[in-house]
Amino acid sequence: MVKYVLKRLGYILVTLWIIITCTFFLMKNLPGTPFDAERFSIMTPAQQEKVLEMYGLNDPVPVQYVKYIGNMLRGDLGTSFTYVNQDVAKVIGSRLGPSALIGLQAVLIGLALGLILGVLAAWKHNSGIDYFTMILAVLGVSMPNFVAAALLQYFIGLKWGVLPIAFWTSWSCSILPSIALSFSATAQVARFMRTEMLDVLDQDYIVTARAKGISQAKVLMKHAVKNSIIPVVTVLGPIVVNLLTGSLAVENIFSIPGIGSLFVDCIKANDYPVIMGITIFYAAFYMLIVLLVDVVYSLIDPRIRLARGKEN
Amino acid sequence: MKKRMAALMLTMAMAAAPVSAYAADASQTLSVAVTAEVKTLVQWAASEEQASLVNNQAQEGLFRMDENNQPQPALCDTYDVSDDKLTYTFHLRDGIQWSNGDPVKAGDFVFSWLKQMSAEATNGYSFIMNDYIVNGQEYSEGTVEADEVGVKAVDDQTLEVQLKNPTPYFTNLCTMAMFFPVNEEFYNSVGDQYGLTPDNMVYCGPYVITEYDPAVGVTLAKNDNYWDKDNVKIENAKVRVMKDASAAYNAYQSGELSQVELDSTNVAANKDNPEFSQTVDFRTTYLQFNLTDDVVGNVNMRQAISHAIDRNALTEFVLADGSVPGNGLVADGMSGDGEKTFRELNGDIAVYDVDEAKKYYDEALKELGEVKSLTVLVGDDSVSKSVATFLQSELSKNLGLTVEIDTKTMQGRGEQMDANNYQMGVTAWGADYDDAMTYLDLWTNGTPYRGNYVDEEYNSLIADAKTQTDDTKRLDDMLQAEKKLVAEDAVVSPIYHKGSATLTKSNVKNLITHPIGVPMEFKYAYFE
Repeated sequence: MVKYVLKRLGYILVTLWIIITCTFFLMKNLPGTPFDAERFSIMTPAQQEKVLEMYGLNDPVPVQYVKYIGNMLRGDLGTSFTYVNQDVAKVIGSRLGPSALIGLQAVLIGLALGLILGVLAAWKHNSGIDYFTMILAVLGVSMPNFVAAALLQYFIGLKWGVLPIAFWTSWSCSILPSIALSFSATAQVARFMRTEMLDVLDQDYIVTARAKGISQAKVLMKHAVKNSIIPVVTVLGPIVVNLLTGSLAVENIFSIPGIGSLFVDCIKANDYPVIMGITIFYAAFYMLIVLLVDVVYSLIDPRIRLARGKEN
Repeated sequence: MKKRMAALMLTMAMAAAPVSAYAADASQTLSVAVTAEVKTLVQWAASEEQASLVNNQAQEGLFRMDENNQPQPALCDTYDVSDDKLTYTFHLRDGIQWSNGDPVKAGDFVFSWLKQMSAEATNGYSFIMNDYIVNGQEYSEGTVEADEVGVKAVDDQTLEVQLKNPTPYFTNLCTMAMFFPVNEEFYNSVGDQYGLTPDNMVYCGPYVITEYDPAVGVTLAKNDNYWDKDNVKIENAKVRVMKDASAAYNAYQSGELSQVELDSTNVAANKDNPEFSQTVDFRTTYLQFNLTDDVVGNVNMRQAISHAIDRNALTEFVLADGSVPGNGLVADGMSGDGEKTFRELNGDIAVYDVDEAKKYYDEALKELGEVKSLTVLVGDDSVSKSVATFLQSELSKNLGLTVEIDTKTMQGRGEQMDANNYQMGVTAWGADYDDAMTYLDLWTNGTPYRGNYVDEEYNSLIADAKTQTDDTKRLDDMLQAEKKLVAEDAVVSPIYHKGSATLTKSNVKNLITHPIGVPMEFKYAYFE
């Protein structure tokens, strides 16, 4: 197990290096400079030269790449061009919290609601609750989160005035955005859970359990849910990454200082160090979550062995 | 039945909840929104409006704009101008202080101005000093030392500035954020951490910054060390980052914002609202022709295109956000001779006239032969794209000319124009100061971005205006230059001047906005 995890971590490092390299060279092909195009165009050539020199943009791209990798290995991600003199790590760090909080809450809401709805829908197969869940699932997956966000803001924030319209001043500000983000997670989890439950409820051991006279609730909780939850863990990985890394639309609508809008902003402004920083973060985060999911998988399902072959 | 009852009661409870439950502080705090992040407050690194807005409340220059956009002495008490209009001597007020108690010295101006003139200034605004101040350009290119630049502290209270040419609007320039002083001693104590947190700045304006987060905004509190604090009535203010226009509109309606700028979807619905007001910014969106191109290098072709654009229809039906037709390059309302505006004096020089357009077009076709299609280069924001689509339909309808739209990111569009790789591009220029020269000077350098326009007559008019000590003659030069550029040579075709429509809460009075430079003044505002 330990050996397997170490091996996977090795792969992650190699993949990360490939991602960093590709992103670096692609990014340098973005048109323009990190400076306001209109303003840059009226600088004298001598001034342009000096400004580029100050940010190390005069070196050939391969040289910049080597320098960047060198600094990165020493833990220095550089300073942002647009957030003048701010450390990239600090800029990203300050934007991570709000996105992570909202994302985490959305995951929890999605997981709780999704599981309940999925179990109920399967248990009461072809009943009202089943149809309701399926309609909700289709809506949740197909409705973009900014539509949900705008509706929540207008009705709950403005018309009813029960929760803050926007801003990031207290915990209550995070409720509406979390709900807005949770719709698609709820839908996905509910669908997976329902399908899997229907499958499991047909299994012989469930019939056996019922035949033994075990109560309905016990059959559901102890046998059915436990065995249906495994595939949900698989989808949970991408859902968590997706939600925790921020959403441009929801962050903009609720004026949340999150990482989703930072990523889009820095690409638009050609803020190279921040683009690189976020890419590294996203990539590493994604791969680690996938690894974690695989490990959890083996823990909850003994049939799955992570390391096959020699060690066994 | 019970369930239904409960649902009904819940709905009623929600409906009865006060609409403004979260608007508690709006009556005491002045709160405005900006649409983009306040990424930096370092004045020689910031070019965006939002930084300028914040800095103008927390800092102050030699002058501050009044409600008529005229500069009034601020940190400067009096000033003298030499007879040749080249030397300005500013006498600072007695007892002016930074928020940490340090005196504001003439040297603090020299310090920040030199920063702005140097290569360290990444906001692209070095020209705003280098064009005027003796040896500024040379200093920025590193060929002269700081002590040879024409800005000197004679003593702690006297600042002397040497100009290259007579500049009647120099005191206007001094109201801009780039001209604010920076406490040299304090700056040196924090180094490159200056401006990153509220504690890493000191303030000499009506307010101090108490909270700052680039993505959230700025919280301001009245500055007790400000020389004119008795005239600052509002104690607390906020500048909040709200990137989504409809969210800002909702926040205004709930009382979280004192003022909101409307997007076109909300303008029509609010025209009769007593809180509604509309202003024209000093910002012109225009079509830049590339004179080295085979087709639009032809002056008749350019004239045809320029005459075929119905600017009224664009602003009224397409933009519908308070923008006005661009019948000249210099924006409506910019100062002219003191009585009439520049636009009034020069009249409409870019007009919609289909018959004229057709005449020019026939002439152009005679000279060029067949013209298959043209390509217009635009930025990828929604407004630019709708302007391009409008141009496309106008030229097709009025001239039968096919136009293709090339959409690029703002950075990409700029680079393509710099590389001379375009036929015509939709671009805009916002005035830096209230004088026609802010526009007209752009077409003297002959760069691809400005269409490769090189014209001796035009350049000599601008050169004469720049050295002219006679203000009437100077104005006349500029009037002629605009006519030459737009009406005769049709190097650019002005399309519209950007307008802003805003709602302001009726209890907020005297919240002054400016069409250029610093966008807003909290200093004079009060609650009723």
